[in-house]
Amino acid sequence: MSVVSRIQALGRSALALARGSRDLAALFLSTLRGVARGRRRPGETVAQMYEIGNRSFLFVAVTLGAIGMVMVYQTALQLERITGDLSLVGPEFLSLLVQDFGPTITALMLATRVGAGIAAEVGSMKVTEQIDALRMSGVSPVDYLIVPRLVASLVMTFALAIFGTAIAYGAGGITAYVSYDLNPRMYFDVSQVTLADVGLGAVKTATYGLAIPVISGFCGLRARGSSEGVGRATTEAVIGSSLAVIILNFVISGLGIYGLGLVEP
Amino acid sequence: MIEFRNVHKSFGGRPVLQGIDLEAKAGEVLFIIGTSGVGKSVTIKHLIGLLRVDAGEIWFDDKRIDKLSEREMYPIRKRIGMVFQHSTLFDSLTLAENVALPLRKHKRMRQRDALAEARTRLATVGLGDYSDRFPAELGDGMRKRAAIARTLTLDPDVALFDEPTTGLDPVSARRIDALIRELSDRRGMTSIVVSHDITSIFSIADRIAFIYSGRVHAFGTPDDIRSSADPVVEQFITGRPEGPMETPGF
Repeated sequence: MSVVSRIQALGRSALALARGSRDLAALFLSTLRGVARGRRRPGETVAQMYEIGNRSFLFVAVTLGAIGMVMVYQTALQLERITGDLSLVGPEFLSLLVQDFGPTITALMLATRVGAGIAAEVGSMKVTEQIDALRMSGVSPVDYLIVPRLVASLVMTFALAIFGTAIAYGAGGITAYVSYDLNPRMYFDVSQVTLADVGLGAVKTATYGLAIPVISGFCGLRARGSSEGVGRATTEAVIGSSLAVIILNFVISGLGIYGLGLVEP
Repeated sequence: MIEFRNVHKSFGGRPVLQGIDLEAKAGEVLFIIGTSGVGKSVTIKHLIGLLRVDAGEIWFDDKRIDKLSEREMYPIRKRIGMVFQHSTLFDSLTLAENVALPLRKHKRMRQRDALAEARTRLATVGLGDYSDRFPAELGDGMRKRAAIARTLTLDPDVALFDEPTTGLDPVSARRIDALIRELSDRRGMTSIVVSHDITSIFSIADRIAFIYSGRVHAFGTPDDIRSSADPVVEQFITGRPEGPMETPGF
């Protein structure tokens, strides 16, 4: 491959990325406009809340519970070797969960389960021309498909993040008590959690709840061809949503800690 | 009534339409024929703004429509309906709700009125007793007829049919043919039908456009096409595997 053709290929990729970013931003704005217009389908929003929220509860509980147990066990193990003082394990772990781990790990789980589901459903509708049929019927595919999922995702990401945080914290507490005989009163001490921690966690949760359905829906709406195209859209949705959660976490944490000085580094 | 002028369209650098010139008159049944992947469906989707031209012009009733925005296409879509290849009924809605959807959105009808109108429309295609069934409970032919009812519910001036008889048994296919012909003869509706069903083509078409290599290769009445000396047209009509026709993938 010559240098010129490599540069051309690079240019094409850059242009495709720029166009994709522009289209994603346009879809996001269009979805927000749809929410603002208030033309929601309450039944569909409730159905999506069940799909996104209720059906993810076990998945989130198992994942966050396991992570909580491992993290507390490992942290206590290291602390016991160095200082022997485990009094701050519970309070610091809760602070970390509230501002970061609870929302982010929950969102990563949702990015895989919910992101894949949205992309597969919307992608299937795209390749079987149902999206075109919606447009022909005078129905905006964004209002019909993306808006209910966005509203449902926003609400249920909050519910799941709170639930996941509680599960991880509780599982960690049991582990600390069983493995290190740590007094539960010492572990379940919420005094280290500040309003800034809660605020940062809430901003992250809201941002993830908005990002996952829009990115996944975007990938579904770009699906082409047949089942192969739907498969590709699903993979792109999982990767895109997960990457978005990680990048958003990085940006919001940076802004919160260093930009606004909300929480101590 | 409808005119395509030198329309070009590419997908990912692969040219599909390379200068389509086509005209449809009011009230006629125009068939667009050609091998799979030649761009027949792509051509008609431009007419309703589901695809945008790379170059060229599309005119509808002396108005250029290829540059209209999505919102500006809404009134055009009230006048030009489309029956998609896979019926594209929404699985979560009953037949009546499917047919009522365009009435509620385009005509702003109330749900109850739209459903009543939808049941009437379904009865005209012989599906009156199936109004409250879901698409998954019906056969291909019935789904196709329900899709036609949905398209006709706005009383469009033009109906686009994308392979309406593909996958249907011969009896259902001929019923669909009869329905398309009747719409033109009784209601004066213009129908543009994408198909490679030779029986349909020669039984109900007023004119036929044969697309090959991204252009309209032959255009005329069924008799013109049937008697064409063009070797490519002749090979397509007879379905001979050997001949000058280049077929993608073979």
